[in-house]
Amino acid sequence: MRVKGSQDLAAGLMFMAAGVAALWIGADYPLGSWQRPGTGVLPRILSWALIGIGGIIAAKGLMVRGVSLLHGAWAWRPVIMVTLAAIAFALLVDSTGLAVSMVVSMALCALGTPETRWREFAIFAVIMVAGSALLFVKGLGMPIRVFPWS
Amino acid sequence: MELSDLLSNLSLGFSVAAKPLNLVWCLMGALIGTAIGVLPGVGPVATMALLLPTTYYLPPEGALIMLAGIYYGAQYGGSTTAILINLPGESSSVVTVLDGYQMARQGRAGAALAIAAIGSFFAGCVATVAIAVAAPPLTQLAQQFGPADYCSLMVLGLVFAIVLARGSVMKALAMVFLGMLLGLVGTDVNTGNLRFTFGISDLFDGIGFVPLVMGLFGMAEIMANMTNEERRDLVTSRVTGLLPTWADIKASTAPILRGTALGGLLGILPGGGAVLASFSAYTLEKKLSRTPERFGRGAIEGVAAPEAANNAAAQTSFIPMLTLGIPSNAVMAMMIGGMMIHGIVPGPQVMQDRPGLFWGMIASMWFGNLMLIVLNLPMIGLWTRMLLVPYRLLSIAILFFCCIGVYSLNNSANEVLFIAIFGLLGYLFFKLDCEPAPLLLGFILGPLLEVYMRRAMLLSRGDAMVFLTRPLSAAFLGLAVVLLVIVVLPNIRKAREVAFVE
Repeated sequence: MRVKGSQDLAAGLMFMAAGVAALWIGADYPLGSWQRPGTGVLPRILSWALIGIGGIIAAKGLMVRGVSLLHGAWAWRPVIMVTLAAIAFALLVDSTGLAVSMVVSMALCALGTPETRWREFAIFAVIMVAGSALLFVKGLGMPIRVFPWS
Repeated sequence: MELSDLLSNLSLGFSVAAKPLNLVWCLMGALIGTAIGVLPGVGPVATMALLLPTTYYLPPEGALIMLAGIYYGAQYGGSTTAILINLPGESSSVVTVLDGYQMARQGRAGAALAIAAIGSFFAGCVATVAIAVAAPPLTQLAQQFGPADYCSLMVLGLVFAIVLARGSVMKALAMVFLGMLLGLVGTDVNTGNLRFTFGISDLFDGIGFVPLVMGLFGMAEIMANMTNEERRDLVTSRVTGLLPTWADIKASTAPILRGTALGGLLGILPGGGAVLASFSAYTLEKKLSRTPERFGRGAIEGVAAPEAANNAAAQTSFIPMLTLGIPSNAVMAMMIGGMMIHGIVPGPQVMQDRPGLFWGMIASMWFGNLMLIVLNLPMIGLWTRMLLVPYRLLSIAILFFCCIGVYSLNNSANEVLFIAIFGLLGYLFFKLDCEPAPLLLGFILGPLLEVYMRRAMLLSRGDAMVFLTRPLSAAFLGLAVVLLVIVVLPNIRKAREVAFVE
C-alpha cells in the first residue's frame, strides 16, 4: 500500500510513540482506588488517548491523500546549528563565563545560515557581549562572570 | 453588581496603574511589544516567552502590566507591518494586509495606520470596561464551583481550544494530551511520587514553563525562519497624511463599533482570541457592505473592523483567565506563567486576595492603549526602520536571549539544555503541521485538572458519577461532547468518502 499523506502518518506515529513510551515508563505507577486516584491514573488515561488518536491520525495518513513529509525543505543546517549553539552556551557558561560562551554560541548560530557576513557579525558580537555584560551582570546583578579570569 | 462598586474598583485600578513606576512598565511593555510585533517572524507568544524571565525581577503588578502591554503592543505593531510591507507582523493582522496594503499602495498609508490606531484604541477602551463589568459576577459564580465543576469546565475549555484551533482537530486533541502529559512530569503533589523524571533532579519540580515555551516558540521559530528567504519591500519609507479625512472617519465608525462588539464576544471564548476575531469581523463587513467588490482593493472598512476586533478580543480574552484561572489561548497561558513565577495561583481568588493587582492590570490596559495611540503614530518612522534589521542578526539575538533568560531563572545550565531539546521538538511539530498552542494549554491545565479530579473523587467517595450528577458539571461536559462531535463528524465522514472513492 502506498502512503498517501506521510506528514500525517509521521505525526500519528509520533503521538503513538509518546503514548507507548509513557505507558511503559509509567507501568508501575500506582492506580490507587476510586476514592483516591493514584499517581498512575491520569498518565495512563493520557497514554491510551495518545495511542488511540495517534492511531487515527496515522491511519488517515495511510489512506487519505495529504501533505508529504518532504513538503518544504527540512532546515537541517539551522536546526543543527541553533541546537548546538544552545548546547554550547549551556556547557560553557559556568566554566568560562559570559563572554566566551556568548561568542561561541552566537558564532555557531551564525553558521546556521549562509547569509552571515562575518565582519558584520564581529561588530554585532562585540556590541552584544558588552551590552549584556552591562545589562545582566552590572545592571541586574546576575551571579555570572564575564571573562574566564574574572 | 452596583455601579458604585464598579467605580470604586476602577478607581482602585487606576490608582495602582497610574503609579509612576507602573506607568513605566506599561510603557516599556507597549513599546517592546510594538517593536517586536513590527518584526515579521517574531510573534507575541515568542516575545512574551523571551521577556518572562525579566519580569522575575519586577514586582508582580509591574510584571503583569508589562506582559499585558507586550501583548496589545504586539497586536498593534503587527498591523503596522501589515499595512506597510504586505506582511502580517503576526497572525491576527493577516486580514489587515488585504486592504491595508492596498491603501498604502494608493498613498493612503497614513490614513490606514491612523484608522487602525483609532479603531484599536476605541476597542481597547470598551473592552477594558467590559472586563471590569464582567469580572466580578463571573468570579462570584466561579467561587460556587465545586471541584467536579472545575474539572469539567477545564475539559470544556480544552475542547473549545481544540475546536477553534487552526488545522486538524485530531492533531490539536493529541497535542493537548501530550501537553497534559508533559505537565505531569515531576513530583505528584498528592502522593509525593515522582513521574517521568528519569532520575534527573532538574525535573523533580516538573518541566519549567519558561524553557518549554522558549524552546517551542522561540528556538523553533528561529529554525523555521532562518531558511526562509527574506523579501521585504517597504511601500514608502515616509508616511505622510497621518490624519484621516472626515469621510474616512465616517466610513469607519460603524465597522469599528461592529468589530469591537464581535471581537469582544469572540475573545471570551477559549481558543478564540484575536485571530478568529479579525477574520470574522472582516467577513462580516464584507457581507454587510453595499459594495463588497471594494474589499481587497483598499476599503477602509476592511482595516477598521478587523483592527478593532482583534484588539477587543485580545483584551476580553483576559476575562476567563482572570476570573476562572483558565487560559483561553497561548498568550493567556503565558500570563499565567508570569503569575506563577511570582507565586500567584490564578483563579477567582486573585480578585479578592489581590484587588490592587487585579484592577491595576485592567486599568493599565487603558493607559497602554492611550500610550500606543499617542506615541506610535509619530514613531512610525522608527518602527519602519526596525524592519531593516536583517534576520541573520535578529535570530542570533533571539537565541542569545533565550539562553540567558532561561539561565537567569535558576542559574542552571541544565535548563538551557532543555530549550535545545524543546527547540528540536518544536521544529518537529512545525514540520508535522502540529500547532504548539494546544500543547501549552494542556501543559498548564493538566496538573490543575488532576488536582480537581482527585478532589472531586475524594468528596464523592469514589463515585465518578459526580461529574454527571452535578448540574453545572454535567452541562459543561455535555457542551464539550456536543462541540467535539460537531467538529469530528464531518472529518470522519469526509475521510470515509475519500477512502471509499480510492
